[in-house]
This record gives sequence, structure tokens and C-alpha cells, in this order.
Amino acid sequence: MASTPAARDGVSGFGAMWVRWLDRAPFLVALLILLVIVAIRSRLESGVLTLDELNVDTASGLTLMLAATGQTIVLLRGGIDLSIGGIISLGTVLAATHFGSDPVSVGAWSLAILAFGFGAGALNGLLISVLRLQPFLVTLAAWSIFTGIATMILPTDGGSVPEWWTRFGYATLLGLSGPVWVLLGLILFWYWFRATRLGIVIQATGSNERSAILSGVSLIRVNIATYGLSGLFAAAAALYLTTQTGTGSPLIGRDYILPSVAAAVVGGISLFGGRGNLVGTLIGAFILTIIGDLVFALHVSSYWQPVLSGLILLVAVLVSSLTEKSARRQSQ
Amino acid sequence: MNAFLARNRLVVLAYVGMFVLLAVTAFFSPGFLSESNLRSSIVLAAFVGIVAFGQTFVIVGGGIDLSVPWVLNSAAILMAAFTGGHDLPLLWVAPLLLVAGGLIGFINGFGVAVFGVPAIIMTLAANVVLQGLIVIYTGGVPPPTAPGLIRYLSVGHVGPIPVIGVIWAVLAIAASLLMSKTAFGRYLYAVGSSTTVAEFSGVPTARTTISTYVLSGVTAALAGILLTGYSGQAYLGMGDPYLFTSIAAVAIGGASILGGTGHYIGTIAGALVLTILAGLLPALGLSTGALMVVYGGVILVTVSLSSDAFVGVWRLVSQWRAAAQR
Repeated sequence: MASTPAARDGVSGFGAMWVRWLDRAPFLVALLILLVIVAIRSRLESGVLTLDELNVDTASGLTLMLAATGQTIVLLRGGIDLSIGGIISLGTVLAATHFGSDPVSVGAWSLAILAFGFGAGALNGLLISVLRLQPFLVTLAAWSIFTGIATMILPTDGGSVPEWWTRFGYATLLGLSGPVWVLLGLILFWYWFRATRLGIVIQATGSNERSAILSGVSLIRVNIATYGLSGLFAAAAALYLTTQTGTGSPLIGRDYILPSVAAAVVGGISLFGGRGNLVGTLIGAFILTIIGDLVFALHVSSYWQPVLSGLILLVAVLVSSLTEKSARRQSQ
Repeated sequence: MNAFLARNRLVVLAYVGMFVLLAVTAFFSPGFLSESNLRSSIVLAAFVGIVAFGQTFVIVGGGIDLSVPWVLNSAAILMAAFTGGHDLPLLWVAPLLLVAGGLIGFINGFGVAVFGVPAIIMTLAANVVLQGLIVIYTGGVPPPTAPGLIRYLSVGHVGPIPVIGVIWAVLAIAASLLMSKTAFGRYLYAVGSSTTVAEFSGVPTARTTISTYVLSGVTAALAGILLTGYSGQAYLGMGDPYLFTSIAAVAIGGASILGGTGHYIGTIAGALVLTILAGLLPALGLSTGALMVVYGGVILVTVSLSSDAFVGVWRLVSQWRAAAQR
């Protein structure tokens, strides 16, 4: 179902094979970039290809990975979600101001924050479908509103979470840290989710909205589920972020809005909807996270980090745009 | 004129909203209408308005420009660094930086129009790369202060009229003429409505799209140069607020983010609404957090009014007006 343009359009033989490879090219490019970075680092430094390094890198990248997971679901639907920045900010603020020291309070408030994230996203989806508004502006407005509320609760960074909560990043099970287990969970989630009814409907709607409506898809329900999931993952990102920072930060979510889109694009997700694989996004987020380490290993100014991420983003999007054009031409 | 109003009722609505807001503000904080306060409001609105100049063209053409913060910031820092705080070097520095801004816009537009890269990603990448390069250039050390001439252009005034207000007015006239009276303006709306249809109708689509991003690069650079005069010196991150405000001004001014509709006249009202709100809320004893909530609410209300759901309401209004005329 909707796995490749070739399958959709019934092209066979060599053309179909070519189109299928073109379809996977962005994902393969992301994998290649990752391998090149790891190869360069392991020549320059020792201890790059160890479990410890995997644990450390995943711990620093997991917030982006969680945020980008939600963003990927929205991009597959053919939309965009800028509100995750506000949901992340407000999530960290709620956690830092309400978490008690006992696990019961932390657990209850974590559930409440996750529910808030889903509800906030669902509201975006509802507005987008009922009033037929553009996702970009609706979620931009929602970002502003949630960031504003977060700033009203906590004007500057502050609050605190229990000490045991901040140990999540270092806790290990079978040699793998908590964040690595979450990452593995995300990969499993994807292979389960993309075959569920909802996953299929989201991808189908993203690749061709009109034919999805004609086959009886309810846009309201799809949008509520899509943006709701995005909000849910943003809230999860906020919870994880508090285990790293230990405080609530009313503006921190801003740092994840566009990088979450960038991670997805580096990983080969098409901004035109319906095409991509969450594993690509996770690779993209991993690349954007370890670029800092690469710049450090190369002994150049750390200011080169944004330049390098921007260039990687450009290369990835060019591959994606050009193969998409080419694939469309092939299947016509 | 009537045709303009019929096509741009949201622009009219933006102005109605702005005047209501002005009245409310004057009621709660009578000092707001004092000459000096109005002048400083216009100065603040002008910076938003100048950045939003290019953003309006880009959005009407169906794109978006996320590179404005660091085009603005780069121009500000390079201007301060190249002039060393003196007026005379501005003769070559200012034109050079405006051209450089246009060049960044050209690269953005080329990627979007020729390679088919989504505008969000193309301009985001340009923004990030510029940010890195300019921070590497400065090494994190802020450059010297702004030249006196730039300070005069941004905060000086002739009689009661702020100089930057005059600059803004000239730009507004230029934008209106470009949008309403030129072939480029017609191409712009055609491309914004549907690139495919425009292409088949013989519109030079790539050239039109690229031009909008060039305009945006130039006006962002101009805003950066002038903003340095306002703050006294260039600093890293000074452009960041202008990404949200420039897009918000265009949206509140009634343009559709999908392209094809909207006008710079509306964007002016959008910039003024944002600035008046920023003055009103502190007068009501509300924090910056509340201001962000209100900004979000205003954007939601404006885009709702332009949605299909309100088509019925608009039809009723025009029927009622037609009946009243008979």
C-alpha cells in the first residue's frame, strides 16, 4: 500500500525498478552521510564505535528525535506542525513547576502533560479541518499561544524536577541507556504504526488527498489523529528534555521546530506528503546531533556546526527534489 | 478602487481592526497618542514593515522566506564592521550589502523555482548557513557602533515626522505600484494562484518567483542596516524576532499563505496592529507572555476570516449591501 510510486502507478520492468530505487535514494543518501561522518570521526578519535558513544549521542539527540517523530507523521500527511515548539516549552514548564518528589505525582503529571500534548495537537487538527485553514498559520499561532502561556507561568528558566528523574539518561539496561531503548521503541513503533489502519490512511491522504476523500476517508478524523500524535510526541520530547536540563524553559521549544523539519528532510521525508520512512528521520536527527562532535573532532571553530548542517540539509533536499521529479517523469 | 476593495476586503478589515485597536489603546492609556509615543510606534512598526515588504511579495507568490533573520543580522553586522562607525564608507557599504542581500534571495529563489526545493527548506538552509558564517566572521565579538547617518535615518525626525517613516512610505508606494500597476504584479498573482496555469499562460514563472526572493533579501538587508541605527550597534540574534513578526504582519494584513491573494497595503496595517498591541498590553498590566497569546489569537481570527467557512457570511454581506444600494 502506497509504498512506492511504481506500485501505485502500475509501472513494471526496468522502469519500475529504477523508480523504486529513486524512491529510496534520499533514505540511502542519509545513511551514506551518517556512515561518512562516523567514518571520519573514528579515524580522528578513538572510542567512536563503542556502546558508550552510542549511549551519549542518543542521549543528546533524543529530544530532537521525539519531536521529529511527530513532525514526520504530520509531513507524511502533507502538513507541517510549528506548534511543537510551544508544546515542548509549555511541557517542560508544567513538569518543572508541578512534579513532586514522589513517583506517583511525577507519573500523574507526566500523563497529564502527554494528554495536554495530544489535546493541543488535536485542537490544531480540528481547526485545520473544520475551518479549512492552512496548517502553517494555525500551528504558528498555536506556537505563539502556548509559548505565551509558558512564559506567563514561568517568565525565565526555573522550577525543578526530582533528582532521580534526571538520572534517566544514564540509567542502563543490558549496556544500553534509557534513551537508546526509547530510540529502539520508536523504530518498533514505526514498523507497527505504518501498517495500522491509521498509518495507512495518513500516508494515503498525504499522497493524494482527493482520492483519499473519494475512498471514504474522514479528513477531520485523520487531521485530529495526525496533529494529536505530533502533539503527543512533542510532549514526550518535553518530558525527556526535563530529564536532561532539570528545569522548565519557556522558550526552549523554539530550538526544535525547524530542526525537526530539517531532520525529517535529511532523512528523506518529502514535504509534499505521503513519502518517507521514520527510520530516515531518526537517522537525520542523529546526523544533526553528531555534527557538533564531527566539528569538534576536526579541530575547527564550533561555529562551523550550523554551516555544515545547512549544507547537509541542502544536499539532502536537492537529492529528494530531483529524484522526486525524475520518479514522476518515469511513472508518467 | 472599488475592484480593489472587492478583491481585498480582508485588507479593509485589517485597517478597521487597527483603528479599533488604536481607539481602545487611547482609551486605556491616553499617553499613547502623544506625539513622541506615536513617533516611536511608527519607528518600531517601520522595521517590521520593511522586513515584511519582501515577505509579502514572497508569500503572495506562493512561497515563504525563513532566511530574513540572518540576512538582516548579517547586513547589520557587516555594515557596522565595514564602516567602522563612519559615515563616508556607507557610500560603497550600503549598496554592496543590499546587493549581497539580493544575491542570497537569488540563491533562495533559484533553488525554489529551478530545482523545485520546498521554500521552507531552501530558505531555512540559507538562514542556518548565514548564521554560521557570520558568527565565524565575527568570532562572537560584536562589531563597533553604527555610523551617525544610519542613526539619523532610523531614529531621527524632520519636524514631527520620523525619517524612517518617510522611507517606509516611499517603500509602500513602490510596493503598491509594483503589485497593482506592473506586469510583474500581474505575473506575481498568477504564479501565486497556480504556477502550472501561469506557466501555460506564458508567464515567466521562474523569473517572477526568483524576483520575489531577491526583493525579500534586499529589504531584509535594508532593515538590518537601519535597525543597527536604532539599537546603536549590531548584535548576534537581532534579526530573530523578525521571522515571526514579518509573517504575522503579512497574515494579519489578509494575504493567504497559499499565495495568490494579499497586498502590501494590508501588510502595513498588520505591522501597525502588531506594534500597537505591543504598546497596549503593558498599559493593561499584561506581560510579554500575554502578548504572545494575543498575537496567536489575532492570527487565528484573521486566517479564520479568510477561510472557506466564512464564504457564506461574506456572500450575505454583499447581498445585503446590494439590497441597500437599490
